[in-house]
Parts: sequence; structure tokens; C-alpha cells
Amino acid sequence: MLHVENLTASIGGTPILKGLDLTVGAGEVHAIMGPNGSGKSTFAHALAGRDGYEIGGTATLDGADLLGMEPEARAAVGLFLGFQYPVEIPGVNNMYFLRTALNSVRRARGETEIGARDFLAVAQEAVDLLEMKQDFLNRSVNAGFSGGEKKRNEILQMAVLKPRLAVLDETDSGLDIDALQIIASGVNELSDPERSVIMITHYQRLLDYIKPDFVHVLVDGRIVASGDHTLALHLEDHGYADYLNHELDDTPERPLLGAAS
Amino acid sequence: MTAATTTTKKSETSPVTQLEQSDPIDYPTKRDEAWRYAPHRELGRLSFGPLAASARSLPEELEEQIPALDGPRIVVVNGVVDDFRSDLTGLPDGLGLWTLADALSEQPEQLDAHFDRGADGIVDAFVALNMALGRDGAVIQVAEGHEIATAIHIVDVTIPDGTQNASCAGVVVHLGEGSSATVVETRIGGGSEFGGSNTRTTIMLDDNATLDHILLQDVPSTQIQLTRIEVTQAAGSLFRARSFNLGAMYGRVVYEVHLAGEGARADLSGLYFGLGDQTLDQQLTVIHAAKNCTSRQAFRGVLDNQSTGVFNGGIDVRPGADGTDAEQSNDNLLLSNRAEANTQPRLEILADDVACRHGATVGQLDGEALYYLRTRGISADEARRLLIRGFADQAVQAVHIEILRTWITDRLGHGDG
Repeated sequence: MLHVENLTASIGGTPILKGLDLTVGAGEVHAIMGPNGSGKSTFAHALAGRDGYEIGGTATLDGADLLGMEPEARAAVGLFLGFQYPVEIPGVNNMYFLRTALNSVRRARGETEIGARDFLAVAQEAVDLLEMKQDFLNRSVNAGFSGGEKKRNEILQMAVLKPRLAVLDETDSGLDIDALQIIASGVNELSDPERSVIMITHYQRLLDYIKPDFVHVLVDGRIVASGDHTLALHLEDHGYADYLNHELDDTPERPLLGAAS
Repeated sequence: MTAATTTTKKSETSPVTQLEQSDPIDYPTKRDEAWRYAPHRELGRLSFGPLAASARSLPEELEEQIPALDGPRIVVVNGVVDDFRSDLTGLPDGLGLWTLADALSEQPEQLDAHFDRGADGIVDAFVALNMALGRDGAVIQVAEGHEIATAIHIVDVTIPDGTQNASCAGVVVHLGEGSSATVVETRIGGGSEFGGSNTRTTIMLDDNATLDHILLQDVPSTQIQLTRIEVTQAAGSLFRARSFNLGAMYGRVVYEVHLAGEGARADLSGLYFGLGDQTLDQQLTVIHAAKNCTSRQAFRGVLDNQSTGVFNGGIDVRPGADGTDAEQSNDNLLLSNRAEANTQPRLEILADDVACRHGATVGQLDGEALYYLRTRGISADEARRLLIRGFADQAVQAVHIEILRTWITDRLGHGDG
């Protein structure tokens, strides 16, 4: 489904991604973990098509060359990015935004658009799934939302758009345990053999609720180790010290227990 | 002798000449701060006077440009009321509605406040012209204690026809004690010739009266549109103004609000949306002349291409107006690097215990928000439209009549093509 080869990305001449390789098959759940500054978010935004990167290498989704496409075209072929910091858009109604997004994607795929009334049912289902308040759809997109509401809104958009590949960038950060469980059950509910998920996270905590098939360790712009979910448990206990180059100025947020032994 | 009869005499010959002879009032120049961004050469090309008889009725094709409000309506075409397109029937109890021409002949003394503003009231040549030539329009009176639920619609239509290309009209509103009403003033136009209109509205609110006043200005970009709204508020009254300054090569909206009675409140908000070479000019002055009055000015501008937006907002707190609470904001969205936003607050505070806040912003579309929308599959054009719509939404939502909100939204949709 997703093939990434030798992906590089730099900002203003400073390399962030330094040759990243990753393959994600249909129905798989991958987790990418790594210390601050390792390039996790850059990877997510390089896939989604943010301006301002100098990009090299290849990334294809179901054979479509993502790197040559506008962000909206990437969404149309089935890519979704759940933002670490969802953007507040005052004055744009959440329901209208969701319907515009869904119909844009459907139009690009040659499907018929959904009318306002039929869409209401689609949106209601997503609202129920994520246990949101009824007025949620009538508020402006993310404006004045709490951190947890913003993250839930990301998953709600995912539930409505039903992407082939969802990349969730630090969706777990800033959430209490209840919100985490709701989001995790939302993601699990949407998983099926034709859809894949990449979870980008700093902590193992989310992986207690969404079990990954593969875990990758991203350090200094490259994937330096891959394994099954036990790799995440190892990282939880030992931090990233095993993988860190001493020249890096990353400061891990946890004590480097592994470094002492 | 009242001012009304004086001006009647003046209008018998060329009023401009008469005015200049008796009491010379020059046209404003670029040196007048309030007219700094006006197109002075084009203003000089406006030639006021009665237009040809053929241009005194509303062409069928312009009807659909007018918001379809139910209720009483007066349509003024080139400065003269079109009786056929106006509807003064079935007025609710407590509402009086006349054409200005009828009121002038039947009850001129009721109109002194409109035609006699004193020497200080004639602030520029266009006010003088309007007093001299604005002999038709509308007079609205609401009797004490009556709440008028249906909106009263005044439509000013300009269709220039060559030699005389500009006209004047007047609207007089008087709300009795404790009464309430909604007045909608729509400005549209037709034809492709240069021309303009110079309209003036004077509003008197008695104690505890409430007026919602909505202005929709959408004349063709070949025209100049000058709107001036003068408000005098007695104690406890509320004036809510919603201005949508959208059309014209030069669209000027002036509010001069006099908070004369204790506890009066003025709440003014609006939107200007410039395309092409348009200049959209808002000139506001709120005078706090009594204790414990509240005023709000919240205007938003969207400026594309090489358009120019002007917000000149004054808060004038007179001696003794203690307990004043005044707030002003002006936010601008520039969609092009050739567009221009000019914002100028004028604050003069001569009282104690005054809360006065003002702020202005000029920004561009949020690149991060555009990117966010596009990652959801929304095209770059559509994402821009959504963000512009979102920015304008605050002003649109402040309008309490759904038909008008829809009219504005549709209009913005077109304009943003």
C-alpha cells in the first residue's frame, strides 16, 4: 500500500529526514517512535505535502506518486494526516467543513456528492463513535476546542473521510486516559483489512490501546530499528539510548535507564 | 422660517451655485482627513440634479438584486420614489411611513431635525447638497411603546443617464419612547455609466427605544455611493447598526452617533469586501455626551486585487460623560499584495472613569489553516473561499434576519468567484 524509499527532507538546507525507508501493507498498523527532533512530524508532513521542505526519494500510495501531488490530491488517493496541533478555523462551521472535505474527495474520485441530509447521518454516526456532544458539529472548526476535543475532531474527520492510510501524528499527546480510550476505540473501530494506520508517538502508552503490528524506531531522520510490539515495551523501559548517537543534542524525556546498565 | 423652506427656494435654481454664493462650501480635498482616500477627480464629475423621467422607475431586472423582504418598502430611483414598486399598505399599528416628498408637503415641521442641522451639522459639501436636493426618500415614525416586528425596507437605486448623473435622497427615522423597529437600507444600481448617489439618514431614538439598522451597499463598480447616517440617542436607547459596504468604485459609509442620554448604547459592526479598484471607506464617530453610555465598533475588511479599505473610527468622550464604556476593533484580511488597508482610531477622552479599548489588525490568509484544509481534500481555491467566508462570518452572523444573511453570503460567493 505505502512504499517509502530513501525519503529525504530538509528545511532551508538543514537535513531532517536522511533516507527513510518504510513499507506498510494493507490492514497493517505501524507505530513510529523516536525522541524529540528525530523527524517524526516532518515525516508525517512530508507525506501530506506541507510547503517548505526540499524533498528527495519516493513515496507511493497504491502506486500513486505522493510526492508529486498537491495536498488535496494526496487526500483524494486516500491519505489522511491527523495533526499533532489541529488548526483553529474560526467562522467555518465544523459540519460544513466536513461535508466540503468529504465531497471534495468524492468528486476527485469520480463519486457522487452527498447531500446535506444524507451527510447528517454520516456525521452523526461519527459523533456517536467518538462520544462527542451534539453541538460539536455546529461549532467552528477547532475554535475554542480543548486539546482533547481537537484530537477527537481529528479522528472524527478520519471516520468521515475513511482514508486508505491514516497517519496519526502524536494523537495521544495531551490526552487524559479517558480521552485516550475513546480515541483508541475510534481508531480500532475503523480498522479493516483494506485500511492501514501509522501512529507516530513519543510514548508507548497509546500502544496499550491500539496494538501495532510493527514498531519502528526513528532516530536522526532514519529508521534505525524495526520489530513487533515488544520493541515498544523495550523502549518504554530503556528509552532511546541504545539508538542515540552521542553527537545528537536530543534530550530524552525519560531517564536513560538503559545507559546506566 | 424653517430650514426646509430655505432649501426649497435654493432648489429652484441650481442649488450648488446658490449654496456657493450664500455660504461657500468647497468640495473636500485630500487634505481633509475624512476624505483622504476618496477619488476627488471622480467626485467632481458627479453632476447632481433630476434625472430623466425614464429613469424614475425600477427596471424589472434590478428587482431580483433586492433582498426579498416581506413588509413595507419604499423604492427610490434616482432620488425620486417609485410609487409602483413601493408598498406602503398594511402598516402595522404604531408605524407611520411616508415618502419624504409627501412628508415635506404635509408636515414639514416634523423634518426640521433632518434639514436643519445647524452650522456645525453641515460638515462638508455633500451634506449641504443632500439637504438642498434630497427632497424625496422615506420618513419612518414608530409611536411610543410599539414594537414593529416586520423590517421596513428602503431601497435606493441609481441608474445614471448621462448629463445629470447623480442624485440625493433622505431617510428620516423617529422611534418613540420604548418602541422598537428594524430598518433595512439597500443600495443598488444599474447601467454601466458613471454616476452616483448621496444619501443621508437621520435617526432619532427617544428614551429606551431600540433600532436595528442594516445597510447593504452593492451598487455597480462604475458608481460612487455616499451614505451618511446621523443618529441621536436619548437615555437608555439602543442603536444596532450592521453595515455591508460591498459595491461601488467608491463606497463611503459615515456613522455619526450622538449618545445624548444617560445609559444609551450604540453597537456598530460591519464588513467591507473590496475587489478590483474599489475603495471602501468607513468613517465612524461615536460621541459620548452623557453618563454611563456604551459603544461598540467592530468592522472587518477583506481586500483583494488593488482595492483599498479605510476605517476611520472616532470615540469622542465629552466632559461629564463619566462611566463611558467604549470599544473599537478593525480587522483586515489582505488577499493581494497590491491591496491596501488603512485604519485610524481617533480617541478623544475628556471625562473620568472611562473604559476605552481599541485594536486593529491587518493580516493575510493563514497558511497553516490553508494547508490543514487541503490535507482534507479541499482544493486550494475552495480552502481560500472557506477561510475568507470564515473571516467575514462574524459580521454576517450579527445580522438577525436570515434572508439578509443569505443575500450577503450569496453576494460574497459571487464576488469571490
